[in-house]
Amino acid sequence: MDLDVQENGKAEEVRSSEASFVTCAETECGEFGSSLTNHISSVETVSQEGVSAELCGLEGSAEIPGNASPATVQETAASHLESAGGADGHPESVSDSASVEDAPDDSGEFVVTVLARGKLEEQGVGVKGSSSPLAEAAAQGVPSSHRDEDVTSESWRQHRKHVFVLSEAGKPIYSRYGSEEALSSTMGVMMALVSFVQSGDNIIRSVYSDEHRVVFMQQGPLVLVSVSTSRQSEQQLRSELLYVYNQIVSMLTQASITRIFEHKKNYDLRRLLAGSEKILDGLLDLVDSDPSFLLSAVHCLPLSSSLRDSLSQILQKAITPNLVFSILIAKNQLLTIVQEKMVIDDARLDPADLHLLLNLIGASSAFQAGEIWTPICLPSFNPDCYFYAYISYLDPPDCTVCLLLLSTDKEAFYAVAECKRKIEEAMQAQNALSAIAKAQSYSVSQVGVSDLRHFMYKPFDVPDNHRQLTQFTSPEMEAPYSTGDERMRLLDLYRDMHSRIHSPSRPLKLIYHVAERETLLAWVTSKFELYTCFSPLVTKVCAINAITKLLRWIKKEEDRLFIRYPPKYSTTPNPSKSSRKGGSDQQDTTDNGYPS
Amino acid sequence: MRKPDVKVVILGDMNVGKTSLLHRYTERRFKDTISTVGGAFFLKQWGPYNISIWDTAGREQFHGLGSMYCRGASAVILTYDVTNWQSLSELEQRFLSLTDTAHPDCIYAIVGNKADLTDACAHLVEMDDGHMSEDIQDTPHHPASTTSTSSVLLHKQVDRMDALALYWRILRYKGLEENASPAAERMCFETSAKTGYNVDFLFETLFEMVLPSILKKRNEGDASTVDLEHSTETKRTKAGCCR
Ligand SMILES: Nc1nc2c(ncn2[C@@H]2O[C@H](COP(=O)(O)OP(=O)(O)OP(=O)(O)O)[C@@H](O)[C@H]2O)c(=O)[nH]1
Ligand SMILES: [Mg+2]
Repeated sequence: MDLDVQENGKAEEVRSSEASFVTCAETECGEFGSSLTNHISSVETVSQEGVSAELCGLEGSAEIPGNASPATVQETAASHLESAGGADGHPESVSDSASVEDAPDDSGEFVVTVLARGKLEEQGVGVKGSSSPLAEAAAQGVPSSHRDEDVTSESWRQHRKHVFVLSEAGKPIYSRYGSEEALSSTMGVMMALVSFVQSGDNIIRSVYSDEHRVVFMQQGPLVLVSVSTSRQSEQQLRSELLYVYNQIVSMLTQASITRIFEHKKNYDLRRLLAGSEKILDGLLDLVDSDPSFLLSAVHCLPLSSSLRDSLSQILQKAITPNLVFSILIAKNQLLTIVQEKMVIDDARLDPADLHLLLNLIGASSAFQAGEIWTPICLPSFNPDCYFYAYISYLDPPDCTVCLLLLSTDKEAFYAVAECKRKIEEAMQAQNALSAIAKAQSYSVSQVGVSDLRHFMYKPFDVPDNHRQLTQFTSPEMEAPYSTGDERMRLLDLYRDMHSRIHSPSRPLKLIYHVAERETLLAWVTSKFELYTCFSPLVTKVCAINAITKLLRWIKKEEDRLFIRYPPKYSTTPNPSKSSRKGGSDQQDTTDNGYPS
Repeated sequence: MRKPDVKVVILGDMNVGKTSLLHRYTERRFKDTISTVGGAFFLKQWGPYNISIWDTAGREQFHGLGSMYCRGASAVILTYDVTNWQSLSELEQRFLSLTDTAHPDCIYAIVGNKADLTDACAHLVEMDDGHMSEDIQDTPHHPASTTSTSSVLLHKQVDRMDALALYWRILRYKGLEENASPAAERMCFETSAKTGYNVDFLFETLFEMVLPSILKKRNEGDASTVDLEHSTETKRTKAGCCR
């Protein structure tokens, strides 16, 4: 076992070449609140230049779940097909993959070739060849530039991350780049592969090649595929696909997706999703550029706790029956969130759901003067039911401060819009908008630690209700990470650290990573998860001191950086079902109008 | 707070240009849109009156909300795309039944948008970004092919006659007398949100036509104005009495 881990570890290190690593796997999952120095000094330092890397603390293997032999990640030249039998979420076991290995090895190669190299068979089907341009343009909506892309071109192939969604019957549903119909034969090939392996009672999980990592995920009747050159871990790619799936669920609900495909196996889901491509495009762009998704946590705008409290109070006072969440957002970050006591009770708003909501708002903000009323499902909260979202900007024409009210009553628009007027009035009276306008993210220089360039801190231990909403804090990305490319490079480094920390086969507690242009330190304890980025010249002692200072600074600023006590309200003594009566007497039974 | 006097609803398939039409009218511009989610509510001040306008999503996904948006409406704008025949037939197949919840006195307009793509005279106005020359805007004449412009015009899939015929079928569906209702010729429009062609004319005409409803509501007192959204369901007798 140990040997496996080590080999695996080494393979991994070699792959990530240029830098040297010192990694440390903690043995026990106890408290790590003690001094960081202890941990670091327990690591043997092997810091040679070049490719050399060393793995320490192999006791860490004790943490590996018994049956988990390390995922076979031999990054050899040949493509490798992994699969796991049945049970989702269990680490791939060697024996399982062995059972498929002999047969579909070619297919693995084949798909990778199909995906990564040319797709000759596509050429006849290109966008340009489509028969009736008029009807097509009208039916498909305005082709955005991505939709227009020639799927046979080199540039199409070079995209860092492709995402495809198809139905079990192999019908294309979504492609991040290029139009789905131009890609239908590629999707067909993917589906053929998926069902081929499924027929042997296995589920394809991923395919590796030199440059590409292909990850498959099946969710109900949908199959999602990510083809990436980004070097992200399979787990990360998988969680990104889950976001895509959940965004689709947020528009249709899981129940209706299931119902539709039970009814008609080869239903063209694009009929219902037409027009939503931009929402999915936007989501994938966010996933690539916003660490909230990586951390599964919400980013709040720093705000004095007194201002945040008074905003919460304003929201708390403007309520109506069946209102369950009131959320205030500025500059795409959370200001405050207030929730109904009874309906929510033990349940909580999952950061993932909030991310989907924020993405929806971003994608629908084109016409900002109006008040939007739209059904939306929060998949982590309940994948089968709708909330009705009221979305309105409080500061036209700037449109940076957005109010989001969620009701369970489809007919409640006018009552909910009335809440907005109350909120608007109260905010005016307190001059809250101009106070919000002054609020902004902070600079890392405010921490007062030289050499510290950037960090992401996600606490687990803030008292009380804080647990209800996982949050993280992070300063602006400043020079040298002010260009888009550099920003992405730093995020990639973080993603790499994150995947090592959360490796299913060999989770780590602490990583000190000396790279060429910066030094990174990632540390996870029972109380927090922290990623820091230093200038490359920092010494280990310096870094340790810096982190001690940083933690102290965060503690001091905690009230400003996080929502400490998400307030609650009560709209009716007994909400849920019975309260519907209060809302409207003309019950509209036209559910949500899906073909059933 | 301003209370809406009447409600106007814009219906039609996705991508026909509903949002663009409203945007052209309220903001006097044509700009990029994103497919609407759910519905968007606007309050338009028109002289001393407040008119609420619902810009709805055409996507099938949001079909279920349609009747809620239409409840108690005084005017419904059924929008299609003149270059897309399917968008006209969708009006009858998917959208007409949503208007069952509208006010019994509701008026219906059939609007063929994107006329700039098929008719040169709707195309002429394009050079102005923002506001068009007054003479064109004030004379909403029939688009007849005048001298062709440099750009290629698309085939017009929906004729004005098709729209008129649809209007008559709607009256029949609603059980309305043809001679007691506004004439089809007045209620069928061809517009371009892109150039502004006929857009003001469309909205102003409809607002004039709902003025009696506004005045009636105002006379009935504030109470009914407040209750605008909940008042009409029970009175809905004409709808659906014939097929
Ligand atoms: N040429 C031309 N294009 C138009 C016109 N009106 C709208 N468009 C274009 O048609 C597309 C759809 O316009 P929208 O206004 O978003 O359509 P919609 O009816 O609101 O669509 P949904 O919100 O999805 O129901 C956009 O690309 C517009 O630029 C027009 O008068 N002429
Ligand atoms: Mg629209």
